[in-house]
Amino acid sequence: MAASVREKQTVALRRMLNFNTPPLKNTAAEPVWKVLIYDRFGQDIISPLLSVKELRDMGITLHLLLHSDRDPIPDVPAIYFLMPTEENIDRICQDLRNQLYESYYLNFISAISRSKLEDIASAALAANVVSQVTKVFDQYLNFITLEDDMFILCHQNKELISYHAINRADLQDTDMEAIMDSIVDSLFCFFVTLGAVPIIRCPRGNAAEMVAVKLDKKLRENLRDARNSLFTGDSMSAGQFSFQRPLFVLADRNMDMATPLHHSWTYQALIHDVLDFHLNRVVMEEGASSEPSPGGARPKKKSKKSYDLTAADKFWQKHKGSPFPEVAESVQEELDSYRAQEDEVKRLKSIMGLEGEDEGAISMLSDNTAKLTSAVSSLPELLEKKRLIDLHTNVATAVLDHIKSRKLDVYFEYEEKLLSKSTLDKSLLDIITDPDAGTPEDKMRLFLIYYITAQQAPSESDLEQYRKALLDAGCDLSPLNYIKQWKAFTKMANPANYGNSGVKPMGLFSRVMNTGSQFVMEGVKNLVLKQHNLPVTRILDNLMEMKSHPETDDYRYFDPKMLRGSESSVPRNKNPFQEAIVFVVGGGNYIEYQNLVDYTKSKPGRKIVYGCSELFSAAQFMKQLSQLGQK
Amino acid sequence: MAVDITLLFKASVKTVKTRNKAIGIGFDSTKDEIFKRSRTKSGFSQRAKEVITNITKLKDFLLQHRKDYISAGSLISSDLTRMTDGERDQIDQDAQIFMRTCSEAIKQLRSEVEKQAAPAQIKEHRGAVLDLVETYLRGVCKVYSEQRAIRVKRMVDKKRLLPSAEKSSSEVQGSSVSLWEEGRVEDELSPEEIQMVRSTASNLILSESIQTTKTGLLLVVESWFSGVLMSKYCFKGKSINGFDQLILMLFF
Repeated sequence: MAASVREKQTVALRRMLNFNTPPLKNTAAEPVWKVLIYDRFGQDIISPLLSVKELRDMGITLHLLLHSDRDPIPDVPAIYFLMPTEENIDRICQDLRNQLYESYYLNFISAISRSKLEDIASAALAANVVSQVTKVFDQYLNFITLEDDMFILCHQNKELISYHAINRADLQDTDMEAIMDSIVDSLFCFFVTLGAVPIIRCPRGNAAEMVAVKLDKKLRENLRDARNSLFTGDSMSAGQFSFQRPLFVLADRNMDMATPLHHSWTYQALIHDVLDFHLNRVVMEEGASSEPSPGGARPKKKSKKSYDLTAADKFWQKHKGSPFPEVAESVQEELDSYRAQEDEVKRLKSIMGLEGEDEGAISMLSDNTAKLTSAVSSLPELLEKKRLIDLHTNVATAVLDHIKSRKLDVYFEYEEKLLSKSTLDKSLLDIITDPDAGTPEDKMRLFLIYYITAQQAPSESDLEQYRKALLDAGCDLSPLNYIKQWKAFTKMANPANYGNSGVKPMGLFSRVMNTGSQFVMEGVKNLVLKQHNLPVTRILDNLMEMKSHPETDDYRYFDPKMLRGSESSVPRNKNPFQEAIVFVVGGGNYIEYQNLVDYTKSKPGRKIVYGCSELFSAAQFMKQLSQLGQK
Repeated sequence: MAVDITLLFKASVKTVKTRNKAIGIGFDSTKDEIFKRSRTKSGFSQRAKEVITNITKLKDFLLQHRKDYISAGSLISSDLTRMTDGERDQIDQDAQIFMRTCSEAIKQLRSEVEKQAAPAQIKEHRGAVLDLVETYLRGVCKVYSEQRAIRVKRMVDKKRLLPSAEKSSSEVQGSSVSLWEEGRVEDELSPEEIQMVRSTASNLILSESIQTTKTGLLLVVESWFSGVLMSKYCFKGKSINGFDQLILMLFF
């Protein structure tokens, strides 16, 4: 995997947007214009990878949703990028009949069936526009890459393959088949884009196993089909020096139910937890202050501001996995250094106003010219820096507001102790009954983590006490019903071990920050994380390093390249894997992702990619648990 | 890795045709298609493409003569390929006229798009097309202004063949020394030189202000600094005077 999957997917999109030919390096080429038509799936795939400006630079004059009113623009080629669903095909046919564009380049996110292709052919014939359908492609891009090392399957309609969808009691076999097929289709596209056939490992007896079996079958069939195989030598990009195939580990959400509920402490995970964050975009209210409007007056309409957190944002790339106090400090540092630079530029700019005849001015100039020109040449960079500083100041402030009002540091610390089975310095009941600490949802999360990680279930009377306290605090108890069921059903031989984590509290924030500091961290605990492995990370570690462990010894082993259906549990490969992809069926979150990133840092030379069927915040996960608990 | 199924599509078309024939459904001949096509081909895209062709002609023209234009040649050589100043003037003049014409054409198209009654999407599309053309034009203008800057600088340097010229070059030209084979910048200029600089500067400012003030300034400044320093900085809304000063100041 010399190039990351994000780069590969971006390259594939750029080629598609260049009429399915590799774009030339020469930027001084004549512009060619086109319109881009996509469905919501296509939009979700493109938006984390290409900005509107980049689309414009590629000659795209308009980008429009397929199912919207579109005017005919008869002198422009149209590039379509969408899923081959019934409604989409119908709409394409309609466009053809209405002769909307000059020519049509049809790109299907996942492979289109023969019969649907014939539907389009039929419409094209009827409208006499067959010659205008210039190209038709199957793109195999049915997944969303959010980071170099992270991907999800979808954003729209994710409830169709959500944890709830997979685990509900009334699930029919046919429903399950459909969900599995959808997940496998995306994973297949992922490996096609990556250009590698993995070794697959999975646990037994759950959805993860079902996915593994189907994926192995699909890969196997494709490899056998010599004419249409997508894994020929050509697809392996030239830069790939690794001769070893990657490891693909499938995990099931059910093996770790605490992590999705956990309160987070790192920047990206916090943003996802407390703010509105999807597809690398944060949406916030401008000038967010939660004061209620005075006496019944209509609340002022707050404008919404959205920020894209991109690969080009250096601050973000550096700090998205940092503990929050570090982030606050760093934003402050950036702000201070920017202000110093700004003053310097202002000073030099004022020199410009001097007349050239002035002797003193001339001599000053010969020294300052250099400074001026270097300052001026870096002005665009300075402006961009300012924009990013403003962005992170706003975002971090919003996060800090949540931390302070909900006492999220307290929750985080307590949960870490629960997960690592350290001694607790206060009682759970105290936190639950404290009216100032957290929303009802926060309390429920904490309690569920307690329940999940408890070696022994609390006694009936204790449980009653907790129940009452939670109800008094306004909590919805239905998730607990489901978790009880889950605990009984799972009854794992080894309850999920969260390792020896630990949080080292460094006291309250006594650090003296300048009076000009944006971030008033008083009263917030300055917590430092100790590295520990969450269950998913631990499983990956076992399998990648070929360690023997009761948890993973029983995992199944699939090699799609092997001639006979391999069903042995004995791995052929004796050497540790250098590259791995971990995929959680049933959903995942940024905490799990960050834990893997931290693990990877400790293993130089390794490349690990994290994927999940859907990305949910704790709130969203709780909602699903609640639905599942209401039977 | 994407899979091209265009042939599969064409095959599907054949299949459908055959099937329809069998059932007895026929479709109108293709003459309607040709008729429809010529009717709906708008003038706009033809004209936009024409402007692009012209800009490309300019680009090719400049690139073709670039080497000769830039080459210093030695004062004593009688190199046949050496370009005279007269020829260079001609190139400059022609290029400027060309750029102005193209810019005018783009402006013209823009105002037409504004005035025309057309659906919002078409207007937006056409506006974006013109943005693309303008960006292309700007790129080619940069080629012109870079080589012009080299020429102007050399013209001014030639005026000052003072042997005592040993002050270290100001950092302004520092990074471009390799491009400009001769001379280093002096700190002092004679009054005539100052006058010449001023008039050249103002000529450039006037003659080169092709597009909006904003981009005009960009071109002027670029032509002085070979796009190294100021090309990235867009001085939004600044007056020309500040720049006139800046240019003269830095030239000192």
